[in-house]
Amino acid sequence: MTGAQAAGFTGREADSGAASAVKGLQAEGRHAEARERYAELVGRHQRRASRIAFHYMRDMAEADEAVQDAFVKAYSHLASFREELPFEVWFTRILINGCLDRIKARTRRERWIAPMPDGPAGERDFGERVAGNDPSPEEQLLARERRERLARALSKLPERQRSVFMLSHYEGCTSREVSVVTGLNESTVRVHLFRAIRKLRTLLGEGQAQGTKVEKRRVHS
Amino acid sequence: MSILNRLRLTAHLDDAGLTAIWTDAAASGVRQQHPHLENCAVCRTRFAELSSWLDTLQSEATTEADEAFPPERLAAQHAQIFRRLEAAERPARVIAFPKFAQPLTSRTSHASRWVAAAAAAGLIVGVGVGQLMDLRHSLSDRPSTTQARVAPASARGLEPRLQSISATRDEAFLSELDASLSRPAVPELRAIDAFTPRADDRSR
Repeated sequence: MTGAQAAGFTGREADSGAASAVKGLQAEGRHAEARERYAELVGRHQRRASRIAFHYMRDMAEADEAVQDAFVKAYSHLASFREELPFEVWFTRILINGCLDRIKARTRRERWIAPMPDGPAGERDFGERVAGNDPSPEEQLLARERRERLARALSKLPERQRSVFMLSHYEGCTSREVSVVTGLNESTVRVHLFRAIRKLRTLLGEGQAQGTKVEKRRVHS
Repeated sequence: MSILNRLRLTAHLDDAGLTAIWTDAAASGVRQQHPHLENCAVCRTRFAELSSWLDTLQSEATTEADEAFPPERLAAQHAQIFRRLEAAERPARVIAFPKFAQPLTSRTSHASRWVAAAAAAGLIVGVGVGQLMDLRHSLSDRPSTTQARVAPASARGLEPRLQSISATRDEAFLSELDASLSRPAVPELRAIDAFTPRADDRSR
C-alpha cells in the first residue's frame, strides 16, 4: 500500500466518522455542533469538489453555486447516508448530478437566449487573479489556448465518457469508485475510459496537427 | 513459450494497446509492468510518451481549476455554505400582516388628498357661483338684449329698401343727365351745340 493510498484510507475513515457524528448531532437537534463538525468535511472536500464542478461547468460562478448546492444538499440529506459507502463517493454523486442538471438547464436557456459576448470560459474575473510569480504573457496565452483546446475536446466526448475520464484521470478514482459514482459496471467504466482517451488522442492530435500546419503556413508566407 | 506468444511479445504494440495498458493501470490504481513493455524499448518509450501526455492533461486541468478557485474564493464559498445552512435551519418567521401599520408615505398622502379635495370643492363652488351670476345677469338684462336682438333684424329689413331707393335715384339722375345732354335745354345755344363735335361722333 502506498502512502497516498494509506492517507486516502485514513481520510475516508475520518470522513465516515465525521459524517456519522454530524448525523447523530442532527438527530439530537444540536444543530450548531453538527454544523461545526460538518465544517471539517467541507474543508476536506471543498477544493476537490470545486475542481470537479469547474471541469463540468467551465464557468466559475456556476461551479461555485453547484458546489454550494451540493454541500447544502448533502448536509440536509445526511440521514440517508449509508456508512458502508465512502462519504467522498456519496458526495461526488450528489455534486455530479447537480452539475448535470445545471448543464441541462443551461442548454435549455441557451436555446432561447442569445449568449452574451464573453471572454474564454472561466475568464470573467480574470482580473481578480493575483499577479505574483506568474509566467510570461506569451506562456499564459499558450497555456490558455491549450486548456481551451482540451476543454473543447472534452466537451465533444459523450457525457459518460467525460465523467469517467474526469473522475478516474483528474481525480484519481479507481474503476470501482467511478462505478459507484456513475452507476456503471466496472468493466463498462474501463471501456469508457479507454474510448475517452482514444477519442481525446484523435481530437487533440488533429488540433495539434492543424496548429502546426497553420504555423508552417505562417512561416512560409 | 509458444510461437504466438513470442510473436505477441516481439510485435510492437499499437496506440490502442498502449492505451489499454494505461487504462488497466489507472482503473486498478496499481501500475503493473506489462511483459512486452519490459522487453521492448520502443514501446516503452511510446508508453512513456502517452503517460506523460495524459499527465500533462491532468496537470493542466488541475492548474486551471485551482487558478479559478484561489484560497480566498474557497474561503468565501465556505462561509456562504454555512450561511445557507444556518438560514435553512432557522425556523421560518411569520411576519404579521401590517393591518394597522401606517405606510411611510401616509403624511404626504393625507396632505395631498386634502389638497385635491379642496381643489375639487373650489372648482365645483366656482362653477356653481358662476352659473348663478350668469343667470342673474341674464334675467336683469333681458329688455336691452331684446332690443339689441331686434335692432339688427330691423336694420337687416331696411337695407334692401335703402339700396333700392338709392338705385332708382341714381337711375333717374343719370337719365336726366342723358336727356339734358342729348337735347340742349336753352334755345339760344342750340346752334352752337349743333356745331360742337361729340365723343360719340368721333368714335363713329
